[in-house]
Amino acid sequence: MQIRVRLIGAFRIERFKEEIREVASESRVQQIVDELQISNRILGIVLINGVHAGVEDILQDGDTLSLLPILGGG
Amino acid sequence: MKFLTTDPVAEASSVLYKRCTIDLRSGTTTLEDVPCRNLEDVLGGFGRSFQVLAERKVDNAYSAENPLIVNTGLLTGSSAMTGMRTYFSGYSPIKGSKKGLPSAMWSTGSGKFGAKFKWTGLDELIFENRSETPVYAVIRETAAGPQVELKPAEKLLGLSTHDKIMALQKEYADAHFAVIGQAGENWQNVYMGAVALSTENQLKSGEDKCRFAGRGGMGSLMGYKNIIALVAQSSDKLKSLSPAVKKVNINVVKGGGSTRLQPLSRGGGGGTWAAYDVLQAFHAVPLNNFRPQGNALPEKLCRENVEQDYEIKSEACFRCGITCHNNVYAKNADGSRGEFLAKFDYEPLNLLGSNLGIHDAGQAARLIQLGDNYGMDSISLGVTISYLLAYNERHPEKPLLNGAGFGDYEKIRELVIRAGEGELPEIGKGSMRLSQATGETSYAYHVKGLELPAYQPETNPGYAWAIAGGHMSMATYGLLTREGKSDLDSWVKGITQDKLHMVGFDMIGLCKFFDIANGIGTQMVVDCLKSEFELEITTDDIRAAVRRAFLRGLALELRQGYSKEEFALPAEVYEHPNANIQLPQIATPEFLDELQRRVWAVFEPELEDLSL
Repeated sequence: MQIRVRLIGAFRIERFKEEIREVASESRVQQIVDELQISNRILGIVLINGVHAGVEDILQDGDTLSLLPILGGG
Repeated sequence: MKFLTTDPVAEASSVLYKRCTIDLRSGTTTLEDVPCRNLEDVLGGFGRSFQVLAERKVDNAYSAENPLIVNTGLLTGSSAMTGMRTYFSGYSPIKGSKKGLPSAMWSTGSGKFGAKFKWTGLDELIFENRSETPVYAVIRETAAGPQVELKPAEKLLGLSTHDKIMALQKEYADAHFAVIGQAGENWQNVYMGAVALSTENQLKSGEDKCRFAGRGGMGSLMGYKNIIALVAQSSDKLKSLSPAVKKVNINVVKGGGSTRLQPLSRGGGGGTWAAYDVLQAFHAVPLNNFRPQGNALPEKLCRENVEQDYEIKSEACFRCGITCHNNVYAKNADGSRGEFLAKFDYEPLNLLGSNLGIHDAGQAARLIQLGDNYGMDSISLGVTISYLLAYNERHPEKPLLNGAGFGDYEKIRELVIRAGEGELPEIGKGSMRLSQATGETSYAYHVKGLELPAYQPETNPGYAWAIAGGHMSMATYGLLTREGKSDLDSWVKGITQDKLHMVGFDMIGLCKFFDIANGIGTQMVVDCLKSEFELEITTDDIRAAVRRAFLRGLALELRQGYSKEEFALPAEVYEHPNANIQLPQIATPEFLDELQRRVWAVFEPELEDLSL
């Protein structure tokens, strides 16, 4: 199946801003995070189709997955 | 501090702190060992100073009855990483209720002044009354204990924060400094004066790299009292690092709490720009007085764009492994590093940049630098100016002051300079008073008289219960954006249980980046207190003390005349909802009414049990 992956901020460095990605059906968000070699330490927000989600959530064909760095004060 | 017990919870009075009280009218100085009343007193910071403020009846911040309290936290000057905080407390000139009474307030900053202050042997310095002439206070360690002396300060008048520090450095070796700028000297017309704290990097490089205790106008209160500077002169007294504290420090540097702030090169989130990037993804970066337009304009100040023309260097406070300072330098023609411009923290970058319609990094840096050198709180300054610009946009036929509009750098620069010089009380007294004067209060972005930081209020109804700086005393600013919580239960729990614990850092001497997600009621803090002082304290003890201190702050607000209606967001948020912000719209009148009812239902019974 295909999903659209959007990366935000520092995650784009040496990766991409947005791409269509072929993934296995029933893939979880964590698999994509691992494939992209993004550290969970600085993964702050996961959105699926603009809605907050978690790394264990299962992706569906046509989903848009957004990965955002940590947000904090200061 | 003197510890005659290892159990400060059961035997708080067996812990004594060294206090010096100076009567500025008579010049008399009193040194005493004061027994602690409770764990809040032991921890220090605002947990202690608010108990002193609660004993006073103060109707006017600029009055003899209002003390200025300078203190540290228990871990200030310890070997625990980030233990560098100094606290300035008093009744605020800028934050106040609609009844006209000033609110109790504290402000805090890092730099090395706090550690030096602690190493003189003093834990707290209270300034009473007002000096007839400008003075500065020298706090010294001596064989007989700490001594405090007042000296004439005429020679420092009119200098910027940085220039005052550099002038004092020539006179005092092995010392650090806390000073006000011209803004604080012009306290009659500037209520947002900050206190600048010297850093090692500043003293060595000669560059204006102060840290600031900015919020609440404690620099203006200092100016009113005619105290121009503080000098803390002492040898360094860092204890050797114990295995327990070393382990904690490694956790601080490598753990989750500070990860966001570490440079990208160290696998961190890059600090300042992580907030910009994330909030922009939701179109929630404040723009043109907190009205994001759903466009890409804020991205002009994102790191990748700033780096094209400027050099960014990640630096740190004294002895801190969290290199959270994104210092911006000009680039010379040959590509080498040029003049230091400013430190880009998220709030100043946004509130003196995008939120004023300024999208050029160099211009934003110059405004930040000007505000810092005059010694003004960048949040209050930026938000008051953005209010003015919004007013002028709505009234092109009769604009205020110099008629500045969004993006009009030269005119905005003129406003900053003239405000810092004390020539524009309309700006210097903050957005609440300016909006009351114009009669258009709905788009003045303050809560309870204190300007909001750079997180849209639509995303943070918790601002209403913040007792000091809006986001640094109520950590709900990420509850919707980061955690995706849009239900009432989560917000009630966040405000009344979890997120208020942010204020604990302002009791103990640690920077919030020590463990911003978890507060100070953690095993890491317990381990530090055991290792440094042999104290037996549990995480529950600490959390209970933090909650009492927070509630005391809330009770003080109510005592100073705040009505519950003032625990609210700027009216524009729900009168004109901003459809550009791509997050659930929770800031509706219905949601906020129900939140008010349920939050007070939790807090009110506890407030009744709390003795001020």
